[in-house]
Amino acid sequence: MDHNAYVPKLAKIIEIKEEVGGARPIKTFRAQFQNKNDFSFSCGQCAMLSVFGKGESIFAISSSPLIKDYLQFNILKMGRVTSSLHEMQVGDTIGIRGPYGNGFPLEEWKGKNLIFIGGGIGLAPIWSVLNTALGKKEEYGDLTLIYGARTSKDLVFREELEEIKKKIAVHLSIDVEESDWNEFVGFVPQNVTDKKPSPKNAITVTCGPPIMIKFVIKALEDLGFEDEQIYTTVENKMKCGIGKCGRCNIGSHYVCKDGPVYSWAELKKLPQEY
Amino acid sequence: MEKILTKKSFPLWVKELVSYKIYAPQKNGDLWNFETIKKPESINLDFPNTVLPPKNIIFPQREVLLEFESSNENKLQVKETLPDDDPTIIFGVRPCDAKALTLTDKVFSGDFKDPYYWKRRNSTVLIGLACNIPPSPNCFCLSVGGSPHSKEGLDILMTDLGDKYFVESLSEKGSTLINLAKPLFQQPKAADKKAVEKTQAEAEKKITRQIKDIKKIPSILKNMFDSPLWDEESLSCLRCGICTYLCPTCHCFDINDEVASSSPVKGKRVRTWDTCQFPDFTMHSSGHNPRPDRASRLRQRIFHKFQYFVERYQNYLCTGCGRCISKCPVGIDIIEVLDKVRDYGS
Repeated sequence: MDHNAYVPKLAKIIEIKEEVGGARPIKTFRAQFQNKNDFSFSCGQCAMLSVFGKGESIFAISSSPLIKDYLQFNILKMGRVTSSLHEMQVGDTIGIRGPYGNGFPLEEWKGKNLIFIGGGIGLAPIWSVLNTALGKKEEYGDLTLIYGARTSKDLVFREELEEIKKKIAVHLSIDVEESDWNEFVGFVPQNVTDKKPSPKNAITVTCGPPIMIKFVIKALEDLGFEDEQIYTTVENKMKCGIGKCGRCNIGSHYVCKDGPVYSWAELKKLPQEY
Repeated sequence: MEKILTKKSFPLWVKELVSYKIYAPQKNGDLWNFETIKKPESINLDFPNTVLPPKNIIFPQREVLLEFESSNENKLQVKETLPDDDPTIIFGVRPCDAKALTLTDKVFSGDFKDPYYWKRRNSTVLIGLACNIPPSPNCFCLSVGGSPHSKEGLDILMTDLGDKYFVESLSEKGSTLINLAKPLFQQPKAADKKAVEKTQAEAEKKITRQIKDIKKIPSILKNMFDSPLWDEESLSCLRCGICTYLCPTCHCFDINDEVASSSPVKGKRVRTWDTCQFPDFTMHSSGHNPRPDRASRLRQRIFHKFQYFVERYQNYLCTGCGRCISKCPVGIDIIEVLDKVRDYGS
């Protein structure tokens, strides 16, 4: 009998970092498999995390596949599983199964300028692909990150962003004015319009709340980007992660298997059911 | 292999099969359902159709996927709980329900084979009973590529010829069962074959309900995602989910943890049938719901069966058993809905 896809591998939480506090807290978790790590994934793929006794939820893997000794997840406290994860400590055991989904076609993007556009926790899937491209910087053109959140306190990876600024162009934004904020004030799509990235030989990856994605795509179209140059990720409720339980579909596509990464050219053809 | 088995010999054959776990339709009050059989003579194949298809024998309504337990040293153990693969026979499977399993086979195959489903599926022999009379006034198998005597998915097909059965073996599994009681079976005569053909032809004529021009439906639906039809047709829906619960092809499920103790943690991860007709089915933990109303959920049921599944697997996800029509408490009729879809397209 083939491998049982429903049985997760056990992993230990080796690091927890509080990224965002307040009413919508976000923590970054790093987890290491207890046994040999044969978990091979590509950027943009997801993993189903188990908190035994609470259940499972699916998350984007935010670490790069270039990093072999742990998997990283950015988790916004929302429902039963994410709330339990937020209560966990370093050393606690979780289950991981996957990887699931298609991932970004990063190989096809060699030689192109990559523009990453994220909002809030939407930086998680971007973080994996951005760091992978950074790790092989010579294979790509210019890398740019446009990232925003409601307030400066809601930005994830604040320290890491300072580091990345030394290597690539980073344009941050917050939705409302704050006293010691020197960068753009306004929504992410407005920042995109303001920074005017060039569509020439470029690919954009945009992840964030659906409403942000909608207006980012509009801003990109106004700047002359073609549908095939715009990539995004979709999320829907999932239980199995392997195209069987029947709930994450958009039309005949199962987001867990056929997604979560779509070009706007592909997504446009599917019904608006996400 | 084609054989004749007298009705008198039938229980004798079943007696030879005692090493198998045997399911057959049993009457409980007014309702027929598949149950395990202890006495061979208690099998009565003179039944309409079971309320539930035999789907739950292969894909139970509730099944444990794994168990987890944390010992005192805080070491967590996870144990997969695959089902037994006891050799099993199901008698009296209607052709529509057998065909349905060939469709759920597709779902539980692919890149991720479902070991729970396949362990049961591979150890089960399906013995079908042709429908000489449609078991339900809402039968419409002929419209969706089936027939009252279809062999698809079956290991043996039995056709009732009055005082005897015409028994066709359709697989090695089927032949094995016949060979276990070889002397009970006779060679069919020319007259028997003629009788079967006649019975089958008459059976088809007795099916009155149909989906006209079904081949056009998938492409018409493609342009109907935003049609007001879904609102109109779903207004009376009570979201009880019976249409999907009784459906032999519906396979959607939920996975949840059942906890016996929370500290140290001990419990089971359980898979249960779920339905696209429940609002929670697609609701994100944020509260956002891509299918927030009855209209979008009815549309999902129809599209899944007659558009999405066709696109993915080149089959309708429906075998025309008519259960969803007969049992809907408010009379939502999938044939009438598809009639309106067709009208929309013309």
